[in-house]
Amino acid sequence: MFGSFIKKSRAKSPWIIHFDCGSCNGCDIEVLACLTPLYDVERFGVVNVGNPKHADVLLVTGTVNHRNKKVLKNIYDQMPEPKAVIAIGACGNTGGVFREAYNVVGGVDQVIPVDVYVPGCPAKPEAIIDGVVVGLGKFAQKVEEAD
Amino acid sequence: METLILVIIGLVAGPLLGGLIAGLDRRVTAWFQSRQGPPIMQAFYDVAKLFGKEKMVVNQWQILCAWVYMIAAAASVGLFFAQGDLLLIFFVQAVGAVFLVMGAMSAKSPYSQVGAQRELMQILAYEPVLILVFVGIYLVTGSFSIEAVWQLDQPLLAKMPLLYLALGYALTIKLRKSPFDFSTSHHGHQELVKGVLTEYSGPYLALIEIAHWYETVLVLGLCALFWSTNVAYMAVLLLATYMLEILVDNTMARMTWRWMLKRVWLLGMGMSVVNLIWLYAG
Amino acid sequence: MSNLLFLLILLPAVAALVCYFVRSSAVRTLTVVATGAILTIASLALLGQGTFEPLAVGSFLGISSDFLVTILDFALLGVIFAYGIKHKNLLIQGFTLAQAVLLAWFELVVVEHAAVPALVGDQLSLIMVLVVSIIGSLICIFAIPYMKEHEEHLHLKKSRQPRFFLFLLLFLGAMNGLVLSNNILWLYFFFEVTTLCSFMLIGHDATEIATKNSVRALWMNSLGGLAFVVGMMLVYSKTATLDISAILAAGPQGALMVTGIGFLCLAGFTKAAQIPFQSWLLGAMVAPTPVSALLHSSTMVKAGVYVVLRFAPAYVGTLLSDGVAVCGAFTFVACAALCIGQSNGKKILAYSTVSNLGLIICCAGINTPLAITAAVMLIIFHAISKSLLFLCVGTIEQAIGSRDIEDMRGLYAKYPRTATITIIGILTMLLPPFGVLMSKWMAIEAASSNIYVIVMLAMGSALTVVYWARWGGSLMATRAEGAVPEKQAALIRMPLTVLCLGAVVLSMASPWIYNSMLAPMFNAPPFTVSLGSLDAATGSFAVVPLFIVLGLGALYAVKAASGFRKVKIVAPYLSGSNVGEEGTYIGPMNGHVPFAAGNMYLGELFAEGKLTPIFNALAVALIVLMLGGAL
Repeated sequence: MFGSFIKKSRAKSPWIIHFDCGSCNGCDIEVLACLTPLYDVERFGVVNVGNPKHADVLLVTGTVNHRNKKVLKNIYDQMPEPKAVIAIGACGNTGGVFREAYNVVGGVDQVIPVDVYVPGCPAKPEAIIDGVVVGLGKFAQKVEEAD
Repeated sequence: METLILVIIGLVAGPLLGGLIAGLDRRVTAWFQSRQGPPIMQAFYDVAKLFGKEKMVVNQWQILCAWVYMIAAAASVGLFFAQGDLLLIFFVQAVGAVFLVMGAMSAKSPYSQVGAQRELMQILAYEPVLILVFVGIYLVTGSFSIEAVWQLDQPLLAKMPLLYLALGYALTIKLRKSPFDFSTSHHGHQELVKGVLTEYSGPYLALIEIAHWYETVLVLGLCALFWSTNVAYMAVLLLATYMLEILVDNTMARMTWRWMLKRVWLLGMGMSVVNLIWLYAG
Repeated sequence: MSNLLFLLILLPAVAALVCYFVRSSAVRTLTVVATGAILTIASLALLGQGTFEPLAVGSFLGISSDFLVTILDFALLGVIFAYGIKHKNLLIQGFTLAQAVLLAWFELVVVEHAAVPALVGDQLSLIMVLVVSIIGSLICIFAIPYMKEHEEHLHLKKSRQPRFFLFLLLFLGAMNGLVLSNNILWLYFFFEVTTLCSFMLIGHDATEIATKNSVRALWMNSLGGLAFVVGMMLVYSKTATLDISAILAAGPQGALMVTGIGFLCLAGFTKAAQIPFQSWLLGAMVAPTPVSALLHSSTMVKAGVYVVLRFAPAYVGTLLSDGVAVCGAFTFVACAALCIGQSNGKKILAYSTVSNLGLIICCAGINTPLAITAAVMLIIFHAISKSLLFLCVGTIEQAIGSRDIEDMRGLYAKYPRTATITIIGILTMLLPPFGVLMSKWMAIEAASSNIYVIVMLAMGSALTVVYWARWGGSLMATRAEGAVPEKQAALIRMPLTVLCLGAVVLSMASPWIYNSMLAPMFNAPPFTVSLGSLDAATGSFAVVPLFIVLGLGALYAVKAASGFRKVKIVAPYLSGSNVGEEGTYIGPMNGHVPFAAGNMYLGELFAEGKLTPIFNALAVALIVLMLGGAL
């Protein structure tokens, strides 16, 4: 019984950590907009924590470059399983317009596995919320497979 | 036997009540901010989820300390329901507080270290006030045991109004509410990350959360003693006190520990001493 | 009976002489260990025989023992005076000369030399004998390997250990004599012996600072000796007896006599290093660690509180009593505050000792059965835990070469055994259900009827938590898999383990300790024992139930923690820029920058230099108030 309650709770309490890899802040503003009274993601139990050790979902905005890829990897490694990664915005997905720059590695998926890609430049808050919901479905599925 | 049943009720009802209050707290806060807020049961979802997470630690001391914190908090609530000695309840609760701090200090992390030091400052601030409140209760009832409080025919609040205010001060610190949330900031993305809790994760964070629920119940239990003669008024008092706590939490910015220490030691202790003088004179 | 008493008082003195004159380290080791064992057994045997009425001591070689003590008294004063001249210290010379003159006048003119039974063994004495003999012996045993290593560090040509053990063992004998004395002149004699021994031991290393501090200790304690003589004379002028039991039985006898008791308390204050006399005990930290342990935990300073506690019935219900309580409470809170600002482990222990002694004296001043129980309990449990902690700091110091708690950070990684014992020691000083906290609980409940005292106790109690928790937390760390196991000499491990177990087990046994040793002290005992919990009219402390609940909980927690290698181990969170688990982060130019965190010592609020003069001034005022209150 307790096990099934835990399983149910996973989807009801996604704590997110938001990491700005090198974004122009456009997507970051949209991420934070989700927490405002207008969108109020806390309705779904979402809490924006500042610490990978407490987080379930990693939201990454911006391109990955050679300087911050270690940091991104580190933060990902410090998140306890089960976890999901959501890449937000054109830059996070593929590197966007900076893709060809000499210092850019590319999208988030060059460094860590990504579960959901949220497109847009910047991504809309609705799209981000949708991305989180899809991400939760994904990690519920991952847990099922792991069992 | 009766005591045993009461203790079991306390141990079971403690976290249920505490979790519900935590959920309610978030709902009311959302309401203040004109949001809808999470479901009432959210605190339980959070803790259940944390229990389901992978176990991850910096070292073994954290596991030890998280467990002892939980056990001590539960034991203090158990003692409260057993109508035990107020000072003893407080000291048992302090076991948990000390272990939480030591566990945070065991990790070589600047965030949890700073949080631990600040948590110690919080203990330094609220402990003398709480002891003086218990002394006040002793002066009114002639005993430190909770049992004696129920035999009063006049609420404690009438004799100890200033001590109740001082208690409110101390409890805001104990519950880590703004403006005193500097050992574990409420929200991430601040200079402190999560302070004393930073390095605890998954099931161990869940244990600490449950311990915190127990502490919330203990704190409200203490407040309840102030109107022991009438259940309805007791409920009103508790509701008003907790609503005030939430209001303060939402309208105050986080202050520094220096501010707290000076404020509490001067104002809180001052009020306590004045009230104690009344009691000694009376 | 009298054989046992001889053994307890004279055996250490004889063993001391053996250590001094036979310069063989094997003989010395054997002598010290054997003396320790015999003292332990003798003290337990004495306890087994129960309390005894005042009893007269015959004569040695045809000289009456009282006369012998008088001669030795003057000889001792002569020695101290000589040291005063050697170190060109006018204070020592003045205080000693004044003592000698007053004492001569007292002995020759005032006192009618009636036979006074010299020794007595009531509950308090027996408990003190146990504390001194057992804990003192353990410390002496610990000193054997410690001093060997200590002298290796110093590269001495000629070992000074014979001298060291001479005074260490003599100290034990003197303490046993002090707590068993019934004749106030005997009490005074042993009091002075401890003064001389502590002076010798503090100055043992003969460095400039050691000499300076030992001289300071000597002048302060000589002041105490002078206060003792004055107090003794004032008390005698009213009661006309040297018999302590008779003085106590008579109770307070008017202003003059109570003032005399006030001076005796002042003597106790100097010996117990109460503010403003705390500086000698802090200075005593320069001595080798076993000395600090002995001075702090079981002997020297306990002599001070013993005197105050011994005479408690003689000032019960007087204004002096309140004065003593307030002075003690002030020391408790002031030293706890000073302790916050310290990072030197030995200084923390020193301040916390003074602070706890303040609490004991405060309890003596409150002077109700509950408070006296608290005081005696605190003497027992503080002695065990504090000696344990001193020995731990000594061991740590020899291992890492520092006594600063910042340097002890993460000690568990390299010295798991010592670190664990130290953490347990700290917890027994700080948390329920252990004895020290239980005594503190009693003290707070007993002090609730005095507003000045209770406010100070409440503040002091909070300050205490801070400095202990901080230290305990600093010691914890991760231990690498397959790290080298820690080595500990057998004679070091034995005292540490015994004291550690003692602190835990005796705390659990405290209801029975109370029943068998403390309850008979009172006509109306403050507690009743039921189901292993101490119940009083004002509240109850469920010792055994708490031990069971918290103990099982802690065991479960330890079990959960011991499987930690199966759990994923990660580096602390460092905003993602950490490198491995070594405590570095990626800095400029991809370099690895080490980082560290330190404790908060609240320098701006609790600065030692700033607070000490203020506290000293306040304490002097309070002591004047206390003595004035007696009039």
